[in-house]
Amino acid sequence: MALLPNITIDHYLYFSTILFCLGIAGILYRRNAIIMFMCIELMLNAVNVALVAFSKMYGQTDAQVFVFFIMVVAAAEVAVGLAILMMLYRNMHTTETDVLDKLKF
Amino acid sequence: MKELILISLLGIFVLALDVLQLRKLTLPAIVLGLLGLMACCALDWNRNEQPFLEYGGMLLFDNTSLAFTFVFSFLALLWFLITRDQFATDAKRSDLYALTLFSLCGAVIMASYSSLVTLFLGIEILSIPLYVLAASDKRSVRSNEAGFKYFFLGSLASAILLFGIALVYGATGSFDLATIAAAGQSNSSLISIGCLMMLAGFAFKISAAPFHMWAPDVYQGSPTVYTAFMSTVVKGAAFAGMFKLFAIAFNDFTESHRSVFVAMIVLTLLWANVVGMRQTNIKRLLAYSGISHAGFMLAFVMLGASSDPKWLIYYVLTYSIASMIAFVIVNYVESYHLGMEDQDGFKGLVKKNPTLAIAMTLSLLSMAGLPPLSGFMGKYIIIGQCMRADLIGLTIIMILTSVVAMFYYLRIIMLMFTPLENAGRIIPEKGQMWIIGIGSVLIIALFFGASIFEIIQW
Amino acid sequence: MLTEYAFWFLTFVAIFSAMGMILSKNPVYSVLSLIVTFFAIAGHYFLLNAQFLAAVHIIVYAGAIMVLFLYVIMMLNLNKVDEEKRSIWSKAAAAASFGILLLVVSAAIGHGHAQSELQSVADTSAIGTTETLGLSLYKEFLIPFEISSVLFLAAMVGAVYLSKKEQYN
Repeated sequence: MALLPNITIDHYLYFSTILFCLGIAGILYRRNAIIMFMCIELMLNAVNVALVAFSKMYGQTDAQVFVFFIMVVAAAEVAVGLAILMMLYRNMHTTETDVLDKLKF
Repeated sequence: MKELILISLLGIFVLALDVLQLRKLTLPAIVLGLLGLMACCALDWNRNEQPFLEYGGMLLFDNTSLAFTFVFSFLALLWFLITRDQFATDAKRSDLYALTLFSLCGAVIMASYSSLVTLFLGIEILSIPLYVLAASDKRSVRSNEAGFKYFFLGSLASAILLFGIALVYGATGSFDLATIAAAGQSNSSLISIGCLMMLAGFAFKISAAPFHMWAPDVYQGSPTVYTAFMSTVVKGAAFAGMFKLFAIAFNDFTESHRSVFVAMIVLTLLWANVVGMRQTNIKRLLAYSGISHAGFMLAFVMLGASSDPKWLIYYVLTYSIASMIAFVIVNYVESYHLGMEDQDGFKGLVKKNPTLAIAMTLSLLSMAGLPPLSGFMGKYIIIGQCMRADLIGLTIIMILTSVVAMFYYLRIIMLMFTPLENAGRIIPEKGQMWIIGIGSVLIIALFFGASIFEIIQW
Repeated sequence: MLTEYAFWFLTFVAIFSAMGMILSKNPVYSVLSLIVTFFAIAGHYFLLNAQFLAAVHIIVYAGAIMVLFLYVIMMLNLNKVDEEKRSIWSKAAAAASFGILLLVVSAAIGHGHAQSELQSVADTSAIGTTETLGLSLYKEFLIPFEISSVLFLAAMVGAVYLSKKEQYN
């Protein structure tokens, strides 16, 4: 059944899946820690899109409230993640992940 | 519910004590608080409490979650006591203690969630303080790198887990575990792919192959005391959450996708033991040992409803005690050798401190699974259960890899008992020696304690 | 009809700016492209009757999180074109994983639809209002709401701990 005229839940799921996969591809493609981190934000947003579409489909609020919690977690993760990144930069003077090889076997 | 309130308040109280300049009271307060937490678990036994059910609930303290909570608080208590001397001079220990307690709070949630919402929040509360703790040695490039890797792969895992949650919600229209369980999962592709993504997310957290690559790096780079915490409480909490999800709520999925689990376990065991053989860094070696134990514990999850959660709890408890003692001794040896983590640091440990050498031997042999040590009992039980489930191939792999693993544990033990001329002495505080001693006694005692586990019914 | 065009427009904007985020060589452009993606997603929320969420999304993501990213990029002075060398393998791995994952999940979605498990059930005009969301957040989601305060406290303590300068003595 259509969520919008001619637009079904499948359209939204495909859209969300494409965004999610773009996030994963970006993580594998880029070597800059900040960009990789933004790719994770993109993946979380892909999940949010799917949840809001499901919320509309089922006519329930709980998926939308869950999206709030995802935003909460995203904000907390960004705070901690950027702090770690800053500290890494202070010691290594770069944000390229190629230099992270001190722990390789 | 009071468990959760107590542990959160304890974390805040520790921060408040720091502000009030009463740092001397921090550790006694934590010990009292954790003892109180264990008492709460005993008081709530058999009550099946569902707090705020009229508001939607989302937590369920049944006997399994209480038992897990009890074990986590016991392990945390052991951790706080056994690492006491490492923090004695640390001016910032209140922050670190508070973060550890918040992480423990996440572990309690992981044991007691009854909705995918609380599962997600629990896994984040468990992980986010740990990202900081892994990176907490700010001047060490290795610790920074470990923190970054842990943070990055951890949040990637949560994103994958979340996509799985979204798909499961899409197929069932509910976040509630009981509703999802009632809907069944065998006949829907959307829910299968959702469950597979959740499994991948969890596999990251428990470091099962093929998502285990972060574990050796993070274990090696983090300050050793937090490695001890990570490989015990955190791994146990991830398994508590996983058991609840895959063995109870998604039982249909676990039954119909057993081959996926078997493949994961076999890959985990083979990879951990073959690559583990080549490690000379003791922390990496113990990390690979942890990965192979994750394989064994994953088998409990795979067997699902047919396996009793109490044996998973037993396995978590025995493995965690052995692993915690091993990491703490590694920490002593490491600081004696000024940061050298190579296994050669263990050469002649028996001369440097015979008690530590014996405790290390006991914990390594327990992890290897030699009777009469508790690690043997755990492996024996899971192998027996796999046998009864007609998984003969898996059983053979489990036994073979255990034998292979024996080699690298024995290598360390041989090194420790190699005589060494003019060795210095490692002398930890007397109180610490007592705690390590009690832990080592527990490794043996729990072997016989298995019969008590046999009797407990819930 | 209009909403249908709006859907396709917003979808293409979101996907292309997400690709721009990944492919852009300058981190600042990446951040700006991601903000465009977020605005397009907010537009989607409007189409799906989630007005309050759309507003919160803009405030939290574009207003707070991306500003934090920009702030870090400026502070670390990374706003230059970076000549990162990517091996053919990482490109291939990225493309392959993108393709495989997309294929698998799409197949699952298509298959699921054939089984008619995805059925819309209700008239949904009122679910996205502040009132219904607020009631749901403070009633059904009371415990997660309280739990998330612990999460924030932990993140706060952690971030402060990490960014305090170590005293060298």
